[in-house]
Amino acid sequence: MPRNKVAWRRLIFVVLIIASLALLTVSVRQADSGPVHAIQQAGVSMLSPLQTWGARAAKPFQDGYTWIRTLWSAHKQAEDLAAQLQQLQGEAVKLREEAEENARLKGLLDFQEKGTFPEGTQFKVARVIAKSPTRWESWIEIDKGSADGIREDQAVVGATPNATDSLSGKGLVGKTVSVTAHSAKVQLITDVGSSVAAKIQGYRTEGIVEGSVSGQLTMNYVDRDVRVDPKLIVVTSGYGGVYPPSIPIGIVSNVGEEDVSAYKEVEVQGFVDFRVLEEVMVLIVPTTATIPSMSTTTTTPGLNTVTSGGNGVTTLPGLGLTSTTSTTSTTLSPTGR
Amino acid sequence: MLRKELRWVGKAALLFVIAVILQSLILSRVSILGVTADLFLILTVVVGLGRGSLEGAVFGFLAGLVHDTIYFQILGVHSLIFVLVGYFVGMFVTRFGTVNLWAIFVLAGVSSFAAQLVFGVVQFAMGPRAAFFAMVGTQMIPEAVFDALIAIPIYALLVRVRILTAPGPEKVQAGAGAE
Repeated sequence: MPRNKVAWRRLIFVVLIIASLALLTVSVRQADSGPVHAIQQAGVSMLSPLQTWGARAAKPFQDGYTWIRTLWSAHKQAEDLAAQLQQLQGEAVKLREEAEENARLKGLLDFQEKGTFPEGTQFKVARVIAKSPTRWESWIEIDKGSADGIREDQAVVGATPNATDSLSGKGLVGKTVSVTAHSAKVQLITDVGSSVAAKIQGYRTEGIVEGSVSGQLTMNYVDRDVRVDPKLIVVTSGYGGVYPPSIPIGIVSNVGEEDVSAYKEVEVQGFVDFRVLEEVMVLIVPTTATIPSMSTTTTTPGLNTVTSGGNGVTTLPGLGLTSTTSTTSTTLSPTGR
Repeated sequence: MLRKELRWVGKAALLFVIAVILQSLILSRVSILGVTADLFLILTVVVGLGRGSLEGAVFGFLAGLVHDTIYFQILGVHSLIFVLVGYFVGMFVTRFGTVNLWAIFVLAGVSSFAAQLVFGVVQFAMGPRAAFFAMVGTQMIPEAVFDALIAIPIYALLVRVRILTAPGPEKVQAGAGAE
Protein backbone atom coordinates (compact mmCIF):
# COMPACT_ATOMS: atom_id res chain seq x y z
CA MET A 1 0.00 0.00 0.00
CA PRO A 2 1.57 3.31 -1.01
CA ARG A 3 2.44 5.59 1.83
CA ASN A 4 1.46 8.97 0.45
CA LYS A 5 -1.48 10.33 -1.46
CA VAL A 6 0.47 11.14 -4.61
CA ALA A 7 1.77 7.62 -4.98
CA TRP A 8 -1.75 6.31 -4.36
CA ARG A 9 -3.10 8.49 -7.13
CA ARG A 10 -0.39 7.40 -9.50
CA LEU A 11 -1.04 3.77 -8.71
CA ILE A 12 -4.75 4.07 -9.39
CA PHE A 13 -4.07 5.99 -12.58
CA VAL A 14 -1.71 3.27 -13.80
CA VAL A 15 -4.17 0.56 -12.82
CA LEU A 16 -6.95 2.30 -14.72
CA ILE A 17 -4.75 2.66 -17.78
CA ILE A 18 -3.80 -1.00 -17.63
CA ALA A 19 -7.44 -1.98 -17.12
CA SER A 20 -8.47 0.09 -20.11
CA LEU A 21 -5.77 -1.38 -22.31
CA ALA A 22 -6.63 -4.88 -21.13
CA LEU A 23 -10.30 -4.29 -21.90
CA LEU A 24 -9.39 -2.88 -25.26
CA THR A 25 -7.14 -5.79 -26.10
CA VAL A 26 -9.61 -8.40 -24.98
CA SER A 27 -12.43 -6.62 -26.74
CA VAL A 28 -10.53 -6.47 -30.01
CA ARG A 29 -9.14 -9.99 -29.87
CA GLN A 30 -12.20 -11.73 -28.60
CA ALA A 31 -14.86 -13.12 -30.88
CA ASP A 32 -18.30 -11.52 -30.83
CA SER A 33 -19.59 -14.33 -28.62
CA GLY A 34 -16.90 -13.80 -25.96
CA PRO A 35 -17.59 -12.77 -22.36
CA VAL A 36 -16.58 -9.11 -22.79
CA HIS A 37 -19.01 -8.69 -25.66
CA ALA A 38 -21.63 -10.53 -23.67
CA ILE A 39 -21.18 -8.04 -20.82
CA GLN A 40 -21.37 -5.18 -23.27
CA GLN A 41 -24.55 -6.60 -24.77
CA ALA A 42 -26.00 -7.05 -21.32
CA GLY A 43 -25.21 -3.42 -20.56
CA VAL A 44 -26.89 -2.36 -23.77
CA SER A 45 -29.91 -4.50 -22.91
CA MET A 46 -30.13 -2.80 -19.55
CA LEU A 47 -29.90 0.64 -21.01
CA SER A 48 -32.04 0.10 -24.09
CA PRO A 49 -35.41 0.30 -22.25
CA LEU A 50 -34.28 3.59 -20.84
CA GLN A 51 -33.32 4.77 -24.29
CA THR A 52 -36.59 3.51 -25.77
CA TRP A 53 -38.59 5.27 -23.10
CA GLY A 54 -36.52 8.37 -23.55
CA ALA A 55 -37.00 8.32 -27.29
CA ARG A 56 -40.76 7.97 -26.84
CA ALA A 57 -40.89 10.80 -24.33
CA ALA A 58 -38.71 12.98 -26.46
CA LYS A 59 -40.65 12.35 -29.67
CA PRO A 60 -43.29 15.10 -29.26
CA PHE A 61 -40.57 17.61 -28.47
CA GLN A 62 -38.48 16.31 -31.30
CA ASP A 63 -41.45 16.53 -33.66
CA GLY A 64 -42.11 20.08 -32.48
CA TYR A 65 -38.51 21.00 -33.02
CA THR A 66 -38.52 19.37 -36.46
CA TRP A 67 -41.77 21.18 -37.29
CA ILE A 68 -40.33 24.53 -36.28
CA ARG A 69 -37.12 23.83 -38.12
CA THR A 70 -39.03 22.70 -41.21
CA LEU A 71 -41.26 25.74 -40.95
CA TRP A 72 -38.24 27.98 -40.75
CA SER A 73 -36.50 26.23 -43.61
CA ALA A 74 -39.74 26.27 -45.64
CA HIS A 75 -40.08 29.98 -45.00
CA LYS A 76 -36.48 30.52 -46.05
CA GLN A 77 -36.96 28.24 -49.04
CA ALA A 78 -40.05 30.21 -50.06
CA GLU A 79 -38.06 33.41 -49.86
CA ASP A 80 -35.25 31.90 -51.89
CA LEU A 81 -37.70 30.56 -54.46
CA ALA A 82 -39.45 33.92 -54.70
CA ALA A 83 -36.12 35.61 -55.33
CA GLN A 84 -35.20 32.91 -57.82
CA LEU A 85 -38.57 33.26 -59.54
CA GLN A 86 -38.12 36.99 -59.84
CA GLN A 87 -34.68 36.51 -61.32
CA LEU A 88 -35.94 33.85 -63.72
CA GLN A 89 -38.87 36.02 -64.75
CA GLY A 90 -36.41 38.79 -65.54
CA GLU A 91 -34.31 36.36 -67.51
CA ALA A 92 -37.38 35.02 -69.30
CA VAL A 93 -38.39 38.54 -70.34
CA LYS A 94 -34.86 39.19 -71.51
CA LEU A 95 -34.78 35.92 -73.43
CA ARG A 96 -38.18 36.64 -74.98
CA GLU A 97 -36.95 40.06 -76.05
CA GLU A 98 -33.82 38.51 -77.48
CA ALA A 99 -35.85 35.84 -79.27
CA GLU A 100 -38.08 38.51 -80.77
CA GLU A 101 -35.06 40.54 -81.78
CA ASN A 102 -33.56 37.43 -83.33
CA ALA A 103 -36.76 36.79 -85.25
CA ARG A 104 -36.80 40.36 -86.50
CA LEU A 105 -33.16 40.24 -87.52
CA LYS A 106 -33.70 36.84 -89.12
CA GLY A 107 -36.54 38.40 -91.10
CA LEU A 108 -34.23 41.16 -92.25
CA LEU A 109 -31.49 38.69 -93.10
CA ASP A 110 -33.97 36.57 -94.99
CA PHE A 111 -35.12 39.63 -96.86
CA GLN A 112 -31.51 40.51 -97.64
CA GLU A 113 -30.90 37.02 -99.01
CA LYS A 114 -34.15 36.56 -100.93
CA GLY A 115 -34.84 40.10 -102.03
CA THR A 116 -33.63 41.52 -105.32
CA PHE A 117 -31.17 44.30 -104.72
CA PRO A 118 -28.59 45.93 -106.97
CA GLU A 119 -25.24 44.20 -107.06
CA GLY A 120 -22.82 45.44 -104.46
CA THR A 121 -25.54 46.79 -102.17
CA GLN A 122 -24.48 47.01 -98.56
CA PHE A 123 -27.02 46.49 -95.82
CA LYS A 124 -26.76 48.45 -92.63
CA VAL A 125 -29.02 47.16 -89.89
CA ALA A 126 -30.22 49.94 -87.61
CA ARG A 127 -32.43 50.06 -84.56
CA VAL A 128 -35.45 52.33 -84.51
CA ILE A 129 -34.92 54.79 -81.68
CA ALA A 130 -37.80 57.19 -82.22
CA LYS A 131 -41.01 57.56 -84.15
CA SER A 132 -42.97 60.55 -85.33
CA PRO A 133 -45.23 61.71 -82.56
CA THR A 134 -48.14 62.79 -84.79
CA ARG A 135 -49.88 61.40 -87.81
CA TRP A 136 -49.14 64.57 -89.75
CA GLU A 137 -45.77 63.11 -90.42
CA SER A 138 -44.59 59.55 -90.68
CA TRP A 139 -40.96 59.06 -89.91
CA ILE A 140 -38.67 57.05 -87.73
CA GLU A 141 -35.28 57.80 -86.32
CA ILE A 142 -32.60 55.15 -86.49
CA ASP A 143 -29.39 54.71 -84.52
CA LYS A 144 -27.04 54.73 -87.47
CA GLY A 145 -25.70 57.87 -89.09
CA SER A 146 -23.00 59.25 -91.31
CA ALA A 147 -20.35 57.60 -89.18
CA ASP A 148 -21.81 54.28 -90.32
CA GLY A 149 -21.87 55.23 -93.97
CA ILE A 150 -25.48 56.42 -94.03
CA ARG A 151 -26.26 59.31 -96.38
CA GLU A 152 -29.42 61.13 -97.34
CA ASP A 153 -31.76 59.55 -99.87
CA GLN A 154 -30.88 55.98 -99.17
CA ALA A 155 -33.63 53.41 -99.31
CA VAL A 156 -34.65 51.72 -96.09
CA VAL A 157 -36.30 48.31 -95.91
CA GLY A 158 -37.71 46.37 -93.02
CA ALA A 159 -39.46 43.24 -91.90
CA THR A 160 -42.51 42.86 -89.74
CA PRO A 161 -41.52 40.97 -86.54
CA ASN A 162 -43.70 37.94 -87.30
CA ALA A 163 -42.75 37.77 -90.95
CA THR A 164 -42.52 34.25 -92.31
CA ASP A 165 -39.75 32.80 -94.44
CA SER A 166 -41.47 34.09 -97.57
CA LEU A 167 -41.12 37.68 -98.61
CA SER A 168 -44.49 38.67 -97.19
CA GLY A 169 -44.09 41.05 -94.28
CA LYS A 170 -40.85 42.34 -95.72
CA GLY A 171 -40.63 45.40 -97.87
CA LEU A 172 -39.89 49.02 -98.40
CA VAL A 173 -39.97 51.29 -95.38
CA GLY A 174 -38.84 54.64 -96.72
CA LYS A 175 -35.73 56.69 -97.31
CA THR A 176 -33.26 58.63 -95.21
CA VAL A 177 -34.01 62.35 -95.29
CA SER A 178 -31.59 63.79 -92.78
CA VAL A 179 -28.47 62.32 -91.29
CA THR A 180 -26.35 63.15 -88.29
CA ALA A 181 -23.17 61.38 -87.22
CA HIS A 182 -24.92 58.66 -85.26
CA SER A 183 -28.57 58.85 -86.22
CA ALA A 184 -30.73 59.39 -89.24
CA LYS A 185 -34.31 60.33 -89.91
CA VAL A 186 -36.21 58.03 -92.24
CA GLN A 187 -39.27 59.27 -94.06
CA LEU A 188 -41.74 56.40 -94.24
CA ILE A 189 -43.54 55.65 -97.48
CA THR A 190 -46.78 56.31 -95.62
CA ASP A 191 -45.76 59.92 -95.04
CA VAL A 192 -47.98 62.40 -96.81
CA GLY A 193 -44.95 63.81 -98.63
CA SER A 194 -43.58 60.48 -99.82
CA SER A 195 -43.67 59.43 -103.47
CA VAL A 196 -42.23 56.16 -104.71
CA ALA A 197 -42.01 55.21 -108.36
CA ALA A 198 -43.63 51.79 -108.48
CA LYS A 199 -44.98 49.14 -110.78
CA ILE A 200 -47.43 46.30 -110.50
CA GLN A 201 -45.77 42.96 -110.99
CA GLY A 202 -46.94 40.97 -113.98
CA TYR A 203 -48.76 43.80 -115.67
CA ARG A 204 -45.70 46.09 -115.70
CA THR A 205 -48.09 48.93 -115.01
CA GLU A 206 -46.31 51.84 -113.44
CA GLY A 207 -47.35 54.63 -111.15
CA ILE A 208 -46.46 56.55 -108.04
CA VAL A 209 -47.15 55.19 -104.58
CA GLU A 210 -47.98 58.04 -102.22
CA GLY A 211 -48.60 58.17 -98.52
CA SER A 212 -51.40 59.91 -96.69
CA VAL A 213 -52.27 61.27 -93.28
CA SER A 214 -54.32 58.17 -92.58
CA GLY A 215 -51.30 55.97 -93.28
CA GLN A 216 -52.97 54.48 -96.35
CA LEU A 217 -50.81 53.94 -99.45
CA THR A 218 -52.23 54.88 -102.80
CA MET A 219 -50.78 54.16 -106.19
CA ASN A 220 -51.62 57.07 -108.46
CA TYR A 221 -51.12 57.77 -112.13
CA VAL A 222 -52.14 54.29 -113.21
CA ASP A 223 -53.76 54.42 -116.63
CA ARG A 224 -57.47 53.66 -116.35
CA ASP A 225 -57.29 51.53 -119.47
CA VAL A 226 -54.95 49.10 -117.85
CA ARG A 227 -56.48 46.18 -116.00
CA VAL A 228 -55.47 45.99 -112.33
CA ASP A 229 -56.66 43.17 -110.11
CA PRO A 230 -56.57 43.07 -106.32
CA LYS A 231 -53.82 41.07 -104.63
CA LEU A 232 -51.23 41.91 -107.23
CA ILE A 233 -47.85 42.83 -105.86
CA VAL A 234 -46.55 46.35 -106.08
CA VAL A 235 -42.79 46.83 -106.21
CA THR A 236 -40.47 49.75 -106.75
CA SER A 237 -39.78 50.49 -110.38
CA GLY A 238 -36.32 51.86 -109.77
CA TYR A 239 -36.97 55.24 -111.28
CA GLY A 240 -35.91 58.23 -109.30
CA GLY A 241 -32.51 57.17 -108.10
CA VAL A 242 -33.45 56.64 -104.50
CA TYR A 243 -35.21 53.29 -104.43
CA PRO A 244 -33.61 50.39 -106.24
CA PRO A 245 -36.03 48.40 -108.42
CA SER A 246 -38.06 45.35 -107.40
CA ILE A 247 -38.30 46.08 -103.68
CA PRO A 248 -41.72 44.89 -102.54
CA ILE A 249 -44.01 47.65 -101.32
CA GLY A 250 -47.33 45.91 -100.82
CA ILE A 251 -50.31 44.32 -102.52
CA VAL A 252 -53.21 45.89 -104.33
CA SER A 253 -56.10 45.94 -101.90
CA ASN A 254 -58.67 47.95 -103.82
CA VAL A 255 -59.00 49.52 -107.27
CA GLY A 256 -61.14 52.57 -107.83
CA GLU A 257 -61.78 54.79 -110.78
CA GLU A 258 -63.77 57.93 -111.37
CA ASP A 259 -65.37 58.97 -114.62
CA VAL A 260 -63.72 62.34 -114.59
CA SER A 261 -60.24 61.05 -113.91
CA ALA A 262 -57.84 59.68 -116.46
CA TYR A 263 -56.22 57.42 -113.88
CA LYS A 264 -57.18 54.58 -111.66
CA GLU A 265 -56.78 54.98 -107.94
CA VAL A 266 -55.14 51.85 -106.60
CA GLU A 267 -55.08 51.31 -102.87
CA VAL A 268 -52.02 49.43 -101.69
CA GLN A 269 -51.71 47.48 -98.49
CA GLY A 270 -48.07 47.80 -97.37
CA PHE A 271 -46.12 44.66 -96.61
CA VAL A 272 -44.49 46.19 -93.60
CA ASP A 273 -46.43 46.99 -90.47
CA PHE A 274 -44.96 50.38 -89.69
CA ARG A 275 -46.40 50.46 -86.17
CA VAL A 276 -44.20 47.64 -84.91
CA LEU A 277 -40.93 48.35 -86.64
CA GLU A 278 -37.93 47.96 -84.35
CA GLU A 279 -35.08 47.22 -86.73
CA VAL A 280 -34.62 48.26 -90.33
CA MET A 281 -31.95 47.93 -93.00
CA VAL A 282 -30.51 50.87 -94.87
CA LEU A 283 -29.48 49.98 -98.40
CA ILE A 284 -26.17 51.50 -99.32
CA VAL A 285 -26.19 51.17 -103.08
CA PRO A 286 -22.93 51.79 -104.91
CA THR A 287 -22.88 55.05 -106.83
CA THR A 288 -22.78 53.17 -110.13
CA ALA A 289 -25.18 50.31 -109.77
CA THR A 290 -26.02 47.84 -112.47
CA ILE A 291 -29.74 47.49 -112.72
CA PRO A 292 -30.64 44.86 -115.26
CA SER A 293 -33.68 45.00 -117.49
CA MET A 294 -34.15 48.68 -116.96
CA SER A 295 -35.96 50.31 -119.82
CA THR A 296 -35.38 53.94 -120.71
CA THR A 297 -38.74 54.28 -122.32
CA THR A 298 -41.75 54.39 -120.13
CA THR A 299 -45.35 54.06 -121.15
CA THR A 300 -46.81 55.49 -118.00
CA PRO A 301 -49.36 58.06 -119.01
CA GLY A 302 -48.96 61.31 -117.22
CA LEU A 303 -45.29 60.74 -116.64
CA ASN A 304 -43.97 62.51 -119.68
CA THR A 305 -40.92 60.85 -121.01
CA VAL A 306 -38.35 63.18 -122.38
CA THR A 307 -35.29 61.87 -124.05
CA SER A 308 -32.84 64.58 -124.80
CA GLY A 309 -30.64 64.24 -127.81
CA GLY A 310 -30.19 60.50 -127.57
CA ASN A 311 -27.96 60.73 -124.54
CA GLY A 312 -30.16 58.32 -122.68
CA VAL A 313 -31.46 60.72 -120.05
CA THR A 314 -35.06 60.07 -119.00
CA THR A 315 -36.86 62.69 -116.99
CA LEU A 316 -40.11 62.22 -115.16
CA PRO A 317 -41.55 65.70 -114.92
CA GLY A 318 -43.46 66.51 -111.83
CA LEU A 319 -41.44 64.00 -109.89
CA GLY A 320 -38.06 65.54 -110.47
CA LEU A 321 -36.54 62.18 -111.28
CA THR A 322 -33.86 61.67 -113.83
CA SER A 323 -32.70 58.34 -115.16
CA THR A 324 -29.48 58.21 -117.15
CA THR A 325 -28.80 55.07 -119.15
CA SER A 326 -25.90 53.70 -121.10
CA THR A 327 -25.64 50.56 -123.14
CA THR A 328 -24.75 48.34 -120.25
CA SER A 329 -25.87 50.06 -117.10
CA THR A 330 -28.17 52.65 -115.72
CA THR A 331 -27.10 55.27 -113.22
CA LEU A 332 -29.78 56.79 -111.08
CA SER A 333 -29.46 60.20 -109.55
CA PRO A 334 -31.97 62.40 -107.79
CA THR A 335 -32.78 65.72 -109.36
CA GLY A 336 -34.52 67.46 -106.59
CA ARG A 337 -36.56 65.02 -104.62
CA MET B 1 -14.01 11.25 5.99
CA LEU B 2 -15.30 7.93 4.70
CA ARG B 3 -18.84 9.22 4.92
CA LYS B 4 -17.87 12.19 2.87
CA GLU B 5 -16.30 9.93 0.28
CA LEU B 6 -19.35 7.71 0.18
CA ARG B 7 -21.54 10.74 -0.33
CA TRP B 8 -19.38 11.73 -3.27
CA VAL B 9 -19.65 8.22 -4.72
CA GLY B 10 -23.41 8.49 -4.46
CA LYS B 11 -23.35 11.83 -6.20
CA ALA B 12 -21.11 10.43 -8.90
CA ALA B 13 -23.51 7.52 -9.44
CA LEU B 14 -26.37 9.98 -9.71
CA LEU B 15 -24.35 11.97 -12.21
CA PHE B 16 -23.92 8.80 -14.27
CA VAL B 17 -27.62 8.13 -14.42
CA ILE B 18 -28.36 11.71 -15.30
CA ALA B 19 -25.61 11.67 -17.91
CA VAL B 20 -26.97 8.52 -19.54
CA ILE B 21 -30.48 9.95 -19.61
CA LEU B 22 -29.45 13.35 -20.90
CA GLN B 23 -27.07 11.93 -23.47
CA SER B 24 -29.67 9.46 -24.75
CA LEU B 25 -32.64 11.77 -24.64
CA ILE B 26 -31.40 15.20 -25.48
CA LEU B 27 -27.80 15.64 -26.47
CA SER B 28 -27.64 12.79 -28.98
CA ARG B 29 -30.63 14.34 -30.74
CA VAL B 30 -29.46 17.92 -30.79
CA SER B 31 -26.93 18.40 -33.53
CA ILE B 32 -25.31 21.70 -34.33
CA LEU B 33 -23.18 21.90 -37.46
CA GLY B 34 -23.69 18.15 -37.76
CA VAL B 35 -22.11 17.28 -34.41
CA THR B 36 -23.53 16.34 -31.03
CA ALA B 37 -22.05 17.04 -27.63
CA ASP B 38 -20.41 14.25 -25.61
CA LEU B 39 -21.76 14.58 -22.09
CA PHE B 40 -19.57 11.78 -20.71
CA LEU B 41 -16.45 13.63 -21.77
CA ILE B 42 -17.79 16.93 -20.47
CA LEU B 43 -18.60 15.37 -17.09
CA THR B 44 -15.16 13.80 -16.93
CA VAL B 45 -13.64 17.23 -17.53
CA VAL B 46 -15.79 18.98 -14.92
CA VAL B 47 -15.20 16.23 -12.37
CA GLY B 48 -11.48 16.54 -12.99
CA LEU B 49 -11.84 20.30 -12.56
CA GLY B 50 -13.87 20.08 -9.39
CA ARG B 51 -12.48 17.01 -7.69
CA GLY B 52 -8.93 16.54 -8.92
CA SER B 53 -6.97 14.02 -10.95
CA LEU B 54 -7.81 10.80 -9.03
CA GLU B 55 -11.55 11.30 -9.08
CA GLY B 56 -11.32 12.58 -12.65
CA ALA B 57 -9.49 9.43 -13.79
CA VAL B 58 -11.87 7.06 -12.01
CA PHE B 59 -14.92 8.90 -13.25
CA GLY B 60 -13.43 8.96 -16.74
CA PHE B 61 -12.81 5.22 -16.69
CA LEU B 62 -16.40 4.45 -15.75
CA ALA B 63 -17.80 7.10 -18.08
CA GLY B 64 -15.75 5.60 -20.90
CA LEU B 65 -17.10 2.14 -20.15
CA VAL B 66 -20.67 3.40 -20.28
CA HIS B 67 -19.93 5.38 -23.42
CA ASP B 68 -18.50 2.34 -25.20
CA THR B 69 -21.40 0.23 -24.05
CA ILE B 70 -24.12 2.62 -25.14
CA TYR B 71 -22.57 3.33 -28.51
CA PHE B 72 -21.45 -0.24 -29.29
CA GLN B 73 -17.83 0.69 -29.51
CA ILE B 74 -14.74 -1.34 -28.72
CA LEU B 75 -14.82 -1.66 -24.97
CA GLY B 76 -11.90 0.13 -23.37
CA VAL B 77 -11.21 2.78 -26.02
CA HIS B 78 -13.09 5.58 -24.33
CA SER B 79 -12.14 4.32 -20.90
CA LEU B 80 -8.50 4.81 -21.80
CA ILE B 81 -9.13 8.22 -23.37
CA PHE B 82 -11.32 9.50 -20.54
CA VAL B 83 -8.93 8.25 -17.86
CA LEU B 84 -6.20 10.35 -19.47
CA VAL B 85 -8.55 13.33 -19.82
CA GLY B 86 -9.79 13.21 -16.23
CA TYR B 87 -6.33 12.73 -14.82
CA PHE B 88 -4.61 15.50 -16.76
CA VAL B 89 -7.43 18.01 -16.28
CA GLY B 90 -7.29 17.38 -12.53
CA MET B 91 -3.52 17.72 -12.59
CA PHE B 92 -3.77 20.99 -14.51
CA VAL B 93 -6.16 22.52 -11.98
CA THR B 94 -4.01 21.38 -9.09
CA ARG B 95 -0.97 23.00 -10.60
CA PHE B 96 -2.43 26.23 -12.01
CA GLY B 97 -4.98 27.27 -9.44
CA THR B 98 -8.50 28.66 -9.56
CA VAL B 99 -10.74 27.92 -12.45
CA ASN B 100 -12.43 30.64 -14.47
CA LEU B 101 -14.80 30.43 -17.41
CA TRP B 102 -12.04 30.69 -19.99
CA ALA B 103 -10.06 27.90 -18.33
CA ILE B 104 -13.14 25.65 -18.41
CA PHE B 105 -13.76 26.53 -22.04
CA VAL B 106 -10.18 25.92 -23.08
CA LEU B 107 -9.72 22.74 -21.01
CA ALA B 108 -12.98 21.24 -22.22
CA GLY B 109 -12.25 22.19 -25.82
CA VAL B 110 -8.70 20.88 -25.78
CA SER B 111 -9.77 17.71 -23.97
CA SER B 112 -12.55 17.08 -26.45
CA PHE B 113 -10.25 17.65 -29.40
CA ALA B 114 -7.52 15.43 -27.92
CA ALA B 115 -10.03 12.70 -27.08
CA GLN B 116 -11.41 12.74 -30.61
CA LEU B 117 -7.93 12.82 -32.07
CA VAL B 118 -6.91 9.72 -30.12
CA PHE B 119 -10.19 8.02 -30.99
CA GLY B 120 -9.65 9.01 -34.64
CA VAL B 121 -6.18 7.48 -34.61
CA VAL B 122 -7.57 4.27 -33.11
CA GLN B 123 -10.33 4.22 -35.70
CA PHE B 124 -7.86 4.91 -38.45
CA ALA B 125 -5.62 2.09 -37.25
CA MET B 126 -8.39 -0.43 -36.70
CA GLY B 127 -11.38 0.47 -38.78
CA PRO B 128 -12.12 1.72 -42.23
CA ARG B 129 -9.62 4.40 -43.19
CA ALA B 130 -11.88 7.36 -43.50
CA ALA B 131 -10.58 10.74 -44.55
CA PHE B 132 -8.84 11.55 -41.29
CA PHE B 133 -7.95 15.15 -42.03
CA ALA B 134 -11.41 15.90 -43.38
CA MET B 135 -12.77 14.71 -40.03
CA VAL B 136 -10.64 17.28 -38.23
CA GLY B 137 -12.54 20.10 -39.90
CA THR B 138 -16.00 18.58 -40.06
CA GLN B 139 -16.14 16.68 -36.78
CA MET B 140 -13.31 17.28 -34.33
CA ILE B 141 -13.12 21.06 -34.20
CA PRO B 142 -16.90 21.72 -34.24
CA GLU B 143 -17.49 19.12 -31.53
CA ALA B 144 -14.61 20.48 -29.43
CA VAL B 145 -16.20 23.95 -29.56
CA PHE B 146 -19.64 22.54 -28.85
CA ASP B 147 -18.36 20.53 -25.86
CA ALA B 148 -16.44 23.53 -24.55
CA LEU B 149 -19.54 25.71 -24.70
CA ILE B 150 -21.69 23.16 -22.91
CA ALA B 151 -19.05 22.44 -20.25
CA ILE B 152 -19.36 25.96 -18.79
CA PRO B 153 -23.05 25.84 -17.74
CA ILE B 154 -22.73 22.21 -16.61
CA TYR B 155 -19.78 23.05 -14.39
CA ALA B 156 -21.59 26.09 -12.99
CA LEU B 157 -24.71 24.00 -12.33
CA LEU B 158 -22.82 21.20 -10.59
CA VAL B 159 -20.96 23.68 -8.40
CA ARG B 160 -24.21 25.42 -7.55
CA VAL B 161 -25.96 22.18 -6.52
CA ARG B 162 -22.80 21.32 -4.53
CA ILE B 163 -21.98 18.14 -6.38
CA LEU B 164 -18.66 19.76 -7.18
CA THR B 165 -16.64 22.40 -5.37
CA ALA B 166 -14.81 25.15 -7.20
CA PRO B 167 -11.08 24.93 -6.51
CA GLY B 168 -9.80 27.95 -4.58
CA PRO B 169 -6.32 29.37 -3.99
CA GLU B 170 -5.97 27.57 -0.68
CA LYS B 171 -6.55 24.23 -2.33
CA VAL B 172 -3.99 25.05 -4.98
CA GLN B 173 -1.42 25.92 -2.36
CA ALA B 174 -2.20 22.75 -0.48
CA GLY B 175 -1.93 20.67 -3.59
CA ALA B 176 1.09 22.45 -5.04
CA GLY B 177 3.76 19.97 -5.95
CA ALA B 178 1.45 17.09 -5.23
CA GLU B 179 0.18 16.90 -8.87
